[in-house]
Amino acid sequence: MITKDMKISKMLAEFPQTLEVLINFSPHFNKLNNRILRKTLAGRVNVEQAAGIAGVNLVLLLNELNKAINLNTITNIECENLEEKMEQNQKPEVLLNINQDKIQKLDVRPIIDLGKDPFLEIMAKVKSLKEDEVFHLINSFEPLPLYSVMQSKGFKHWTEKNGNIFNVYFYKDAQSQSYAKQETQNEPTPVHDYENVIELDVRELAAPEPMMKILENISRVDDKTVIAVHHHREPVMLYPKLEERGYSAIANKINDNYFKVVITKKRN
Amino acid sequence: MIQSSSIASAYSPPFRIVSKYFIAAIVAFVTLNLFLLLSHSNIIGHHFNPKILSITHIATLGWVTMIIFGALFQLIPVVLEVNLFSEVLAEIQFWIFLIGVIGMVYCFWHFNIGMLMNISAILLNLAMFIFSFNIIMTFTKVKKWNITGLYLAAAIFHLIVTAIAGLLLAINLGYPFIKIDHLQYLNLHVHVAFIGWVSMVVMGVTYKLIPMFTLSHGYPMTYAKCAFWMINFGLLGITTIMHYEDTTFLHFIFTPMISLGIAFFLVQVHIIFKNRVRKKLDAGLTFSSYAYLMLGLTTILGTVIAFIDHQNIINLTLIYGYMIIFGYLSMLIIGQMYKIVPFLVWYHKYSSKVGLEKVPMLKDMFNEKLAQYGFYLMIAAIIGSVCSLTFKTEVGLIISFALMFINSIIFSFNMITIFRR
Repeated sequence: MITKDMKISKMLAEFPQTLEVLINFSPHFNKLNNRILRKTLAGRVNVEQAAGIAGVNLVLLLNELNKAINLNTITNIECENLEEKMEQNQKPEVLLNINQDKIQKLDVRPIIDLGKDPFLEIMAKVKSLKEDEVFHLINSFEPLPLYSVMQSKGFKHWTEKNGNIFNVYFYKDAQSQSYAKQETQNEPTPVHDYENVIELDVRELAAPEPMMKILENISRVDDKTVIAVHHHREPVMLYPKLEERGYSAIANKINDNYFKVVITKKRN
Repeated sequence: MIQSSSIASAYSPPFRIVSKYFIAAIVAFVTLNLFLLLSHSNIIGHHFNPKILSITHIATLGWVTMIIFGALFQLIPVVLEVNLFSEVLAEIQFWIFLIGVIGMVYCFWHFNIGMLMNISAILLNLAMFIFSFNIIMTFTKVKKWNITGLYLAAAIFHLIVTAIAGLLLAINLGYPFIKIDHLQYLNLHVHVAFIGWVSMVVMGVTYKLIPMFTLSHGYPMTYAKCAFWMINFGLLGITTIMHYEDTTFLHFIFTPMISLGIAFFLVQVHIIFKNRVRKKLDAGLTFSSYAYLMLGLTTILGTVIAFIDHQNIINLTLIYGYMIIFGYLSMLIIGQMYKIVPFLVWYHKYSSKVGLEKVPMLKDMFNEKLAQYGFYLMIAAIIGSVCSLTFKTEVGLIISFALMFINSIIFSFNMITIFRR
């Protein structure tokens, strides 16, 4: 059964037929047709967040999805979360009073349109922010998964929808900072600063040697170490092998014959 | 632009289905060469001869088509990113096809053109229709088409035409009803089979596999597109005019069109090879690259035959057929099998163990040196056979067929080694 907490990537892997359901459900999900976005974004979003991004009713979506896998369980989840979000329309004071040149803008729509994952660009931008600056993200959908990542870094968010454009402001205040500290003490967060990067260039190797080389080095990956693979194609065959051993990968397409794949160890 | 990916993926069907087709085909190849060696005295003569027809069908059905079925079940899901419509049908089809091939070969050998021949032809048709149905249903799920998919779709169309023409020919042997000349209709059957079915598959798959094995990328695919339309238009033209008695005039249009299409394909292959990152060619790629050379020579020969009175030079047709089956197809199949089978077996058995325990490298999966010797034997056998057929020297034929037989033993020995790992 598909639940609201299930990751989209997991759902698509287990029940490939649900891809069609999603695409039929809302044109927003057309992005999933793009293999790269499916690999990267879908791994971070669960069904609930996806429903939020597309602006569709979560309960209806879950029912459709479960119908597609021949489960006729009617989902009864309270829709509190959805309503809760709607209340947040008051522009926070911090943002009302801020000086325009303290706002750092990043429009990720061109990156998304190219079928690439903007996550690394966003993180780079966030890292460059000064203490009193506000980060203004412009996107074609609401970047729900990003909220929790940013929250762990001590940012609050405020979102304003303008036609098809979402303007998201990330800002810090005393409350959010203390939350972030708590968070880091309690459990490790999904985003970390890695100390070691092992670079592997497998572009001149023929299959299955890239896979062998990567898997032979995989034991060196730990909480502080990642592998950055330079590959001549997206290593789709590698993903299940990494999954089996508790690693995950994010591929960024640079051009048709060059992919950068970052492999990290999964956290429990 | 085609992005080269791997020959296995989450969409691949179970390995046991594909390997069944491969093993049956390898057995057929050895049998084919044994029969050829044993009946060498029948080979010099007109091609419409029971033994030759029987051996031809071991080659075309048991060896070439069998291996194409297996390879397509593996490759179509990977290339077009869909699951195979039905694995059960793929399994059922195998047994029906196998019985059909054995029946057909037996009937030709003893020239039993009655009921048994018809049943075999019907079984073969049934298997091919099951295959076509299975693949067409798989096609309906495809979201993203590419040039390889286009070639494969055309191949399925021509397979159906070949199968129907073959069935009509089989019935016509026992109960004549075809108004045009039986041999002319046979000509149609053969050309649709080799150019439409087999070569469409070969070309489509080439665009995918050769870049993958040689790590070639960043080249235009213009020639591949031209080749597709030239060959298919030419072939449709030929199939139409062959239904009429006087074929001379239109032959001048359609035959060169096909030849030019094949030339475009070869130019595209040349571009792919030129852009490769790995300069050294291993045994598998050596076989393959010579096969493309042989295709070029065969096409020239075929074009010449189309314009001269070949009925009077009967061994020219034999040489042509031999070049297609051995020079071009067997050479290519052996080369590609040396690349595909080790990878599939490796992926199946070892990919989960990499980094955890010691696993063999791909090149350690079989005896590469032996494969190289096989290559030299095969080249010698092809040149020897063509010369012996030209000058009708029986001793030359025996030696050449024996060399080819040894090559087939080496090939099957290597394949068995891989499968048993």
